[in-house]
Amino acid sequence: MINKKKAAGLAIGTLLLSATSLSLSAAELLEKPAGFGVRPLTMIVPFGAGGGSDQLARSMAKAMEEVAGLNFQVVNKPGGGGTAAIPDFMLSPGDGYTVMEHIDNAISAYAKGDIRENPAEDWTPLCMTQITFSQIYIRGDEDRFTDWDSFLAFVKANPGQASMANLGKVGSMELVVMSQLQNALDMKVKQIAFDKPAERYGALIGGHVDVLFEQPGDVRSFLDSGQMKPILTFLDERPDVFADTPTHKEVGADFEALTRFRGFYVKRDVPKDRTEFLAAACKAGFDTEGFQAFNEKKFMNLINSYRDTSGSVKLINEAVQTYRTVYKELGIGK
Amino acid sequence: MVEFLNGTLTLFGDPTAVMLFGLGLIGGMLFGAIPGVNMLTLGAVLLPFTINMEPNHAVMLFSVIYCAGVFGGAITAILFNIPGAPENAPTCFDGYPMTVQGKSGKAIGAAVSCSAIGGVASAVVMMAATPLIAGWAVRAFGPQEIFALIFFGLAVSASVGAETLWKGWLSVFAGLMIATIGTDPVGGVPRFNGGSLMGFEFSSYYLSAGIHFIPMILGFFAVSEVFVQAMSIAEGKRKRPKANLEFPSLLEFWSVRFTMLRSMFLGFFAGILPGIGATLAAFLGYSQAVRWSKTPERFGKGELAGVVASETANNSATGAAMIPLLALGLPGGALTAMIMGIFQIHGMEPGPLIFINSSDLVWVTFAAMFWANLCIVALGWLQTKTVVHILNVPFRWLAPGILLLATIGAFALRNLTIDVWVMFLAGAIGFFLRRTGYSAAGIVLGLILGKLGESAFAKSMQLMDYDFLGFFSRPIAAFLLVAAVLTVASSIWNEVRGHKLQKALMD
Repeated sequence: MINKKKAAGLAIGTLLLSATSLSLSAAELLEKPAGFGVRPLTMIVPFGAGGGSDQLARSMAKAMEEVAGLNFQVVNKPGGGGTAAIPDFMLSPGDGYTVMEHIDNAISAYAKGDIRENPAEDWTPLCMTQITFSQIYIRGDEDRFTDWDSFLAFVKANPGQASMANLGKVGSMELVVMSQLQNALDMKVKQIAFDKPAERYGALIGGHVDVLFEQPGDVRSFLDSGQMKPILTFLDERPDVFADTPTHKEVGADFEALTRFRGFYVKRDVPKDRTEFLAAACKAGFDTEGFQAFNEKKFMNLINSYRDTSGSVKLINEAVQTYRTVYKELGIGK
Repeated sequence: MVEFLNGTLTLFGDPTAVMLFGLGLIGGMLFGAIPGVNMLTLGAVLLPFTINMEPNHAVMLFSVIYCAGVFGGAITAILFNIPGAPENAPTCFDGYPMTVQGKSGKAIGAAVSCSAIGGVASAVVMMAATPLIAGWAVRAFGPQEIFALIFFGLAVSASVGAETLWKGWLSVFAGLMIATIGTDPVGGVPRFNGGSLMGFEFSSYYLSAGIHFIPMILGFFAVSEVFVQAMSIAEGKRKRPKANLEFPSLLEFWSVRFTMLRSMFLGFFAGILPGIGATLAAFLGYSQAVRWSKTPERFGKGELAGVVASETANNSATGAAMIPLLALGLPGGALTAMIMGIFQIHGMEPGPLIFINSSDLVWVTFAAMFWANLCIVALGWLQTKTVVHILNVPFRWLAPGILLLATIGAFALRNLTIDVWVMFLAGAIGFFLRRTGYSAAGIVLGLILGKLGESAFAKSMQLMDYDFLGFFSRPIAAFLLVAAVLTVASSIWNEVRGHKLQKALMD
């Protein structure tokens, strides 16, 4: 494990070196549409510096600089669970100079009626570059239960007692997946709403909650050090890295689990040649060694993490459908 | 001890390390002192370069920046009422009034020394007991205890800077209500970001981000101060605050020794707990200084102990924040998250094993933080003797600069224009607030403690199945809550009795 990570670190190092030393000749760069990309572009990140979205945006900005010679100014506009950045994005001129990173939160917010903008129609998705699944984690030294079966037995033996650190936003991917699981297996786990990731992880490690709902890339360091271990994967099949952990389908929950996905958007009225160029730059950036190493470090290489514009639209529309169906069942949203 | 000496020798025996140490110290202080940029900006700029550094150097550099950056923001807070960073915000409450009274040298001197003392103390505890403390603190302090701690802080907020206790409480409640604007911390439900006002329909995505306390502080303190000063110039009554180079005397330090110890302790705990950090440390340190003071009415009006409390607490939180990072891999804030990133880039994982696998690195870092805090005293003393002269610049030149810096500071926080509007609105409100005896500091305390408190309260109630009495089955939480209620009761009792006494004397 350590060696693998050293390799990843080195790869990132090489990427940065090559990006800063401008070792690429102009001929290798993607060709820009006439008059575009001459000044730096703005990349809006609707979450704070240092978080998952921010890391992705900065890594992709570097990669696109490498393959297309574009310069990005990354601007964090956190607040309101990703909604506060939207008006600035909508007010920006439709010239392609403003790109926004956003996650599936925007899709659930649209499905629920919290925001008016449809990410598949009012915005043009350039690409999705991170798609990942969720897992349930327990403490490494937990002795009341050690795997999914013993956890389920614990939950049934102590009804209403087991607690899970999770995000609390009504209708979020996290809560939808958990309510689907609980309905399918007729179990009840208390969902405790934590807004900051560090608090969520601290709550599990400190023993204030029994289990944690999270995506593997975000807790990788805890997994490697043995402080946490997964007991359930929300995916159709077991990925190799988590070969010992059962999937939700194997334990008898038959539903298509929603995924977490992060991607990049421009406004709908951006000229077509610029949108296509940016989408191509995103694809080429995704394929760079540096970005691949970044994604691998975040466990984003376990399932296909890339979608182009039409693939993204499909992914978004399907997610909107799923959310709307589940919201109707749960009686939330407008 | 041997490890500490070895770490020190490694640090100062290596010319590259010494150079980085110096750069980190000066860079952190500069970036901390200029509003609009802060130590995070410097960290983000430097992060890519750490790949080519030795891990020892990189982690050491960032921890030095962390120590120096938390101190740097105190200077502008004291001289211009503009906190360089959120964790210096409570330093404004008493630091700026001291400047107005011509005691800027004392205020900065106290800030420098207390930052250093707080930082050194927490570095020592960190060296002595990191693995032990980290595990214990994360287990012992759950959401219930954090809520009780915040409630305890809130209990004394009303006595900061208001004319009467009642006006103080009204100010705090106004702050608590402002804290509810935006998105609720549990269900993500939008609150007060739309509706109709006098037949005018409005809704705002911007408002869903909520009202942040930094633009409020900039408005209440920096902007409204510019108005107040401008008015006194127009009336021909303004006296320029004297630039004063006097360092606080040993006797003055001795008189605030308990405030210092209390803030060290509080700062340390706030630093260890994930998601709490230096900002809350400073606010809690300040409010507890008011709680235990014999002369609480002097706070907010230029009390040395106010500066001491806030600056000791925020620096002692820095050392403490390294504890959960190193021992458990839990970064409490953005800068510690960057340090975590450095570890990962170099293929190392902070966590229980780091003391065995990379003990060299850990001890170089500890030593660097210890010496960085000591160097703050020397550098700070130099700064006291130089920066204060800015006050000799005529106010008509200084005022636009202050407004510009405040505007940049408000916008740069989240890159949202709403923060700039909030700042100017708060500036106008603050101007009138000062004449009515209500407390701007009380509103700010209500706002920040309200936001954190609501989140902790909601988590606690969910964990306890909405049974309020559950707080009292946890000793630490129960103790803090009872202490808070007693504090409120005794302050009301004093206020009522005080009035009776005054009336009796007047009769």
